[in-house]
Amino acid sequence: MMRKRLPRVVLAAGVAGALVAVAISPGAGAAPAAPKVTPKRGGLVIGKASKHKPTISMSGSTSVAPLAALLAQKYVRVCNHCVTFRLLQGGSDVGVADVAHGRVTIGNSSRDPKPTDPSGLVFNPIAHDAICVITNTSNPVPNLDQNGVQQIFSGGVHQWNQVPGAQRGNDAIAVFVRTPASGTQDAFQKIFMNPFNVSGQAKQLASNGLIQQSVKSNKDGVGYVSEYFAKGTHAVPYKGVACTLRNAKSGQYGGIRTFYMVTRGKPKGAAQRWIHWIRNNKQAKQIIATQWVPLK
Amino acid sequence: MGATEVAAKTEDRAGPGPVNRVDKRAELMLGALSTLVLVLIAAMIVFVIAKGWPSFTHNGLAWFGPGGNVDQQLADIFNSPATPSNYVYTFHAWPLIYATFLTTFFAVVIGIVVAVLTAIFIVEFAPGGMRRIMEPVVRLLAAVPSVIYGLIGLLVIVPFVNDHLLSEGTKRSVEYVVQLDGTSIGVGILILTVMITPIMIAIVVDALRTVPVGWTEGAAALGVNRFRVLWTIGVRASRPAIVAAAVLATARALGEAIMLSMVTGSVGFSPNPLDGLLYFAEPARPLGATIVAQSTGLSVPPLEQTVFAMAAVLLVSSAFLSFGGAAIRRSIRRGQVAPALAGVD
Repeated sequence: MMRKRLPRVVLAAGVAGALVAVAISPGAGAAPAAPKVTPKRGGLVIGKASKHKPTISMSGSTSVAPLAALLAQKYVRVCNHCVTFRLLQGGSDVGVADVAHGRVTIGNSSRDPKPTDPSGLVFNPIAHDAICVITNTSNPVPNLDQNGVQQIFSGGVHQWNQVPGAQRGNDAIAVFVRTPASGTQDAFQKIFMNPFNVSGQAKQLASNGLIQQSVKSNKDGVGYVSEYFAKGTHAVPYKGVACTLRNAKSGQYGGIRTFYMVTRGKPKGAAQRWIHWIRNNKQAKQIIATQWVPLK
Repeated sequence: MGATEVAAKTEDRAGPGPVNRVDKRAELMLGALSTLVLVLIAAMIVFVIAKGWPSFTHNGLAWFGPGGNVDQQLADIFNSPATPSNYVYTFHAWPLIYATFLTTFFAVVIGIVVAVLTAIFIVEFAPGGMRRIMEPVVRLLAAVPSVIYGLIGLLVIVPFVNDHLLSEGTKRSVEYVVQLDGTSIGVGILILTVMITPIMIAIVVDALRTVPVGWTEGAAALGVNRFRVLWTIGVRASRPAIVAAAVLATARALGEAIMLSMVTGSVGFSPNPLDGLLYFAEPARPLGATIVAQSTGLSVPPLEQTVFAMAAVLLVSSAFLSFGGAAIRRSIRRGQVAPALAGVD
């Protein structure tokens, strides 16, 4: 009697083991070779979810996230709740990786395409954005030229009295930068720093908000953020042009980069209509123009 | 007593009745489940090491050594060219390993002393009302998520250290080497100690409670004072539990990532003991925090492999830690006659 039952138990253990193996394997198969769509859950949901409506999920850049949220809210109203949005963050590189693996419909990126990006991705530009160098409000640096920015962020100067117009005496400069995978870091490196590298002493933080918070609470702090996150800090004029939305739109301000919505292949269906709406609709351009720079 | 014995005997005589078969089935199912857990753990270790292997093979033992700026190395790995044969792998993790060791070591050493003394107080000296409040609070503290400790550290302790403990002169004296802004291993150690001590207190309290009353009462009858009784008999008999508590706390401290990434300064710097007290004001970034910070760049294959290599180092060290802890406990137990304490840990 017992003998007969035994194999069944072994079988059960075997089945359980197989199930676990299957459960593990999506993590193991992180190679782009197996584009299995396993949608990411969680995040900010915009619009009423329903089984009959398509869902556009987005993840990625913390710089693009506020713009994407505003646009999605408007789009849901305009198109009479034709889609549901799901918005996650994580950084530009996360967005690119997620869309490449089919975990989201659209990856938000605030950096340009890179040679290491998986092939078959389409970077759809949606807006431009200014990057501001920010200091604490008690230290309103009147102007920085490219050499000044490079000296501060590469560790060429260490005290505020070596920076013309700074108000912090000979205090040591506290430099805050982003991690390498950040789109803002990538753009800052290309626009402001090239050919220098950011100093190895600089504190690496994971989001625009953390840089903003650190510069707000540290009187000797200096960092760089998307213009949207410059509130509560002093945005330093670059090459004599104030880092404001107006100057960014007029093209006078030099520190401009592009926001992308990245899709796997050309955008299709609901995603295609949504990106087309962002790029061409007047209302969408108005929303972009409130804090960012619309495409020409 | 007699009645139950009779009942047990009749069941035995009934042979392979329904009760026995259920027992057998449960035994097999539970056995299968625990085997599954073992298989899972083994599979995880193999998976992580296999994923990180290219990073180890390219660097050899230099992976664990010092050399160059570790943050620049990570950035170079992230910006590798697209062709696999040109991937950049150069990585010397010493500052990160050193930071992990520092924060863990100091937090556990401080924590174990505080925990044993607090446990003695709770078990022997605290008045009844205080004990009733302290015990649940300690257990609650043990369960607070680390990100909350991190937030408090980032928004309260770090600015306090920056504004009141670090003078501008101090910051200027090291400005060519490192940037001081309050985020430091000192703050990390402080919060880590607060995080891991409650677990240790809870375990040591339980252990002290299971010391046979006869032993302590015997000592008290000989005229030994209460603290001495607890110290020479209670704590001595609870040594296996104290080791277990230390191992558990060390494992938590080793793997702590979020809180440390918020308060220790997120820069790959090796604090220099020659700087005196300033040592504790210097920033560093342990392995766990580095994994968190770099996980945003996992789409780049060589960076993914490097991150997995760091994870493998953490995983293997915590495995060795628990084997080591078990070995120590076994050797302590062999040296003492305490069958009553076998179940303590």
